[in-house]
Amino acid sequence: MEINDGEEEEFEFSRNYFLAKELAGSGKKSTLKISDINVVDEQELRAAAANIEPKHEKEINSLVNSYKRLYPKWAFELRCGFGLLMYGFGSKKVLIEDFASTALTEYSVVVINGYLQSINLKQVIIALAEIWWDDLKTKRRTSSGVSSKVQQPFNSRSMDDLLAFLHESDVEENDSFVCVVVHNIDGPGLRDSESQQYLAQLASCSHIRIVASVDNVNAPLLWDKKMVHTQFNWCWYHIPTFAPYNVEGTFFPLILAHSSTAQKYQLSHPDEEGMPVDALYTIARERFLVSSQVTLNSHLTEFKDHELVKTRRHSDGQDCLHIPLAADALEKVAF
Amino acid sequence: MVTDATSKQLFTGLVLTKNMEFVDDLLTFEELGSYLKSQGCHVANLSSLEFSVKNGIGGCLRSILRQFLMITLDAADVSILATWYREQGSCNNPVVIIIEDLERCCGSVLSDFIIMLSEWVLKIPVVLIMGIATTLDAPKSILQSNALHHLCPCKFILGTPLERMDAVVEAVLVKQCSGFGISHKVAVFMRNYFVSQDGTITSFIRALKIACAQHFFVEPLSFMLWFLLGDDNLMLQGEKYGLSPEMMLKHALSLPSCQSIGSDKIATKQHGETIVNGLAELKKLQCQWSIVILCLYEAGKCDKVTLLDLFCEALDPDSFKSRAPDNGGGLENDSGVSSRDCYKHQQYHTTRNSGFICQAVQKLRDLPAVQICKLLKGWEKYTVNVPQIHEKVKKLLSEVKSEDGKGSGQDLSTISKRHASRKHLKIEDSKAVNEKAAKLLESMVRNYMQPLECAAFHEIVCFKNVNALQTALIGDPRRRIQVDLLEVQNIIQCSCCSSSSNALLPSMHDSSILYTLAQEHGDLINLHDWYQSFKSVVLRLSNKGKRGPNYSPSPKKRKATTKPAKPSEASIQARFCRAVTELQITGLLRMPSKRRPDYVQRVAFGL
Repeated sequence: MEINDGEEEEFEFSRNYFLAKELAGSGKKSTLKISDINVVDEQELRAAAANIEPKHEKEINSLVNSYKRLYPKWAFELRCGFGLLMYGFGSKKVLIEDFASTALTEYSVVVINGYLQSINLKQVIIALAEIWWDDLKTKRRTSSGVSSKVQQPFNSRSMDDLLAFLHESDVEENDSFVCVVVHNIDGPGLRDSESQQYLAQLASCSHIRIVASVDNVNAPLLWDKKMVHTQFNWCWYHIPTFAPYNVEGTFFPLILAHSSTAQKYQLSHPDEEGMPVDALYTIARERFLVSSQVTLNSHLTEFKDHELVKTRRHSDGQDCLHIPLAADALEKVAF
Repeated sequence: MVTDATSKQLFTGLVLTKNMEFVDDLLTFEELGSYLKSQGCHVANLSSLEFSVKNGIGGCLRSILRQFLMITLDAADVSILATWYREQGSCNNPVVIIIEDLERCCGSVLSDFIIMLSEWVLKIPVVLIMGIATTLDAPKSILQSNALHHLCPCKFILGTPLERMDAVVEAVLVKQCSGFGISHKVAVFMRNYFVSQDGTITSFIRALKIACAQHFFVEPLSFMLWFLLGDDNLMLQGEKYGLSPEMMLKHALSLPSCQSIGSDKIATKQHGETIVNGLAELKKLQCQWSIVILCLYEAGKCDKVTLLDLFCEALDPDSFKSRAPDNGGGLENDSGVSSRDCYKHQQYHTTRNSGFICQAVQKLRDLPAVQICKLLKGWEKYTVNVPQIHEKVKKLLSEVKSEDGKGSGQDLSTISKRHASRKHLKIEDSKAVNEKAAKLLESMVRNYMQPLECAAFHEIVCFKNVNALQTALIGDPRRRIQVDLLEVQNIIQCSCCSSSSNALLPSMHDSSILYTLAQEHGDLINLHDWYQSFKSVVLRLSNKGKRGPNYSPSPKKRKATTKPAKPSEASIQARFCRAVTELQITGLLRMPSKRRPDYVQRVAFGL
């Protein structure tokens, strides 16, 4: 009986959860720290990370190639008005771009890299409107020669106007559209509900089709039924590639490279009164740890509250940060 | 004063949607809008998003102006709308404003909007249509009283989701509007998805569209649906789609349903006719099939049998075979078997232990005479295109009518005198009619309700791939991504990682090794331990490669192995870092927090 199967499944899920909890509680909890691993120098770690030897390159290539037979089907489904949503482990960036550049040659394609930290969707939609406008002009010139009405420049228009422009129902242009490729539609730059609402509205425009990828197991939680059924209109495709997340992972800190910049600075500059805040900001930004002064400050406030970091006024009037530990203690924490 | 107040009233349609799923209502209102437009009304659809405090009344106006005038103005003013309306000329066509979800709107903004419209109602004749998901009291609780008395409300009630679903099934799947059909398995999947999972008609229709798209893509002869729609020129059309007659024949005759007929029966030169005849037969069978279902539905209606259930059961080829006349099986024999098997997810029909078809037939036996008569009239209409059934229905109907005639023609006094015995007689008579109707319906089911999948050439019009539909409709990233990680070797099919045991091999994908190791931990994973076990798995590689299959994993021996292939500490750490990052991207891990800097947290437990 499948009802029982369903219940069984649910039961197993909760049992697994409690077993895991129990395992954590009863068993001797390991208290070893990351610092007990003899972590190599951060530069060396980054260098090594950049040169990881790929595994199963041949098999992965043939796996990705095997998806190529699906291209005509994907293109057909886009023409039928569906959106394509690719999921499965591994980076799908190369595959989707290959699909767009080989099977969608008759359409304009715009790529959004959702794995970036911040994305200006308004700019994207302005660009889409401009592209669609150009497409229309070329088509009308070749077909009927009717020149269209003069348009207000797109970058001064509101989001609703732009979306309305992309949705204009025009029977003769029924089969043409602009394709939007969204790598990681569940990525950090698009994860907020406002972006998702805009993307959903964009997806429902008659002259737009979306091909997107998700990597997070909880990605479907970003959407409600309205978005899923009436706007995105997804056809799901499970296409694991096992290709490394090279670009997608750029913005994630290496878990073993947690040693903080201020710590190192203090150790290497023992005579100074501390690290100037803006110097820390520059370094933190370079390493993609923070993207703005505000984020850095919020981290620092946390540290200050727990007295992990103290502020000193430098002789030249600048605020300097220092860690209230002796050099040997600091060394232990750092390495 | 009184006339003033009434003249400022807005005609308002309050549409009770009776539905938890407002997604379906969006579609309803969209279609209502296009219908009203086709009738000459000026229609604007507004959603609750427009009635927010942030946008205020200006937001609604801007949206209306955008929909009517195709322009956006910063200073939206209702006078612009009035000017526009005057320019439209005819004042017979009202402006209809549809607000989909009243309960989600901001009350004060909506109230202001209503008051504003009421002040302009003489210049712009506005009709409001508001969707209400809860009860008729909703406007009272949401709107301010001064806005409320500007409304002149009229109540409309939409059907329940199940009623609407039956209407969709009837129009699209039973009455064969397109000739496209679905197999029994697909139907059962879609029914279960609707009943137990999603509950929206929108998603049911979406599933149907996906099924169509997949079918048209996979089946080269699917263009022959044109033939079923009445266009007989199908041979010519094949060439239009790049198919030569030979290719079409070859494909058609290779269909499994066709092979079972036996190709020897078909003379080679008549192949072309075979397809045409086959499709004509298919069309005839489909027509009969749908008529019987509709008759069953009429009968089952009083017992709340839904068309969706009947539809699924009627598609089942197994139960058809079991009740086939030469099988000696009657309707009673298959009772329950099919329905129990098919509707494993059955949750709302828990008390049923017999099939829906049986139930509908059974219901006939209990119906009062008046209803039987009404029912037969319904059947008469449905069966008009199938003379064999139509004749029988007409005959039965005339019998019922004559019984009735006898009854009503009696003298009143005699009736009262012989009341008791007559009553008894009447019951007997009507029972006989009931029995006849039931027998007729049974014979219809037996003889004319051949499921699509039992007909030759059905593959041309019937979508059967339930797995393809399911995977396209419902993505399952939570489970599938974990399976990807735990069973990489099955997917990439490499020779190096597949071993009979479940042991972790160093040649496996790093993230896969790490995620498999994570399964052994509790909800928290100590990074140090995790790294150490990862390292030991990875280091097994270089040793195993050198040592061959008889390698023993004793640490002492391991030290003795040659160094060069051993990955450096830095590279192992880098691989560990990257694998953690990849798991982080999949969302299967929660990163160390300030409180627990040395632990990552597992998010998924079990598939």
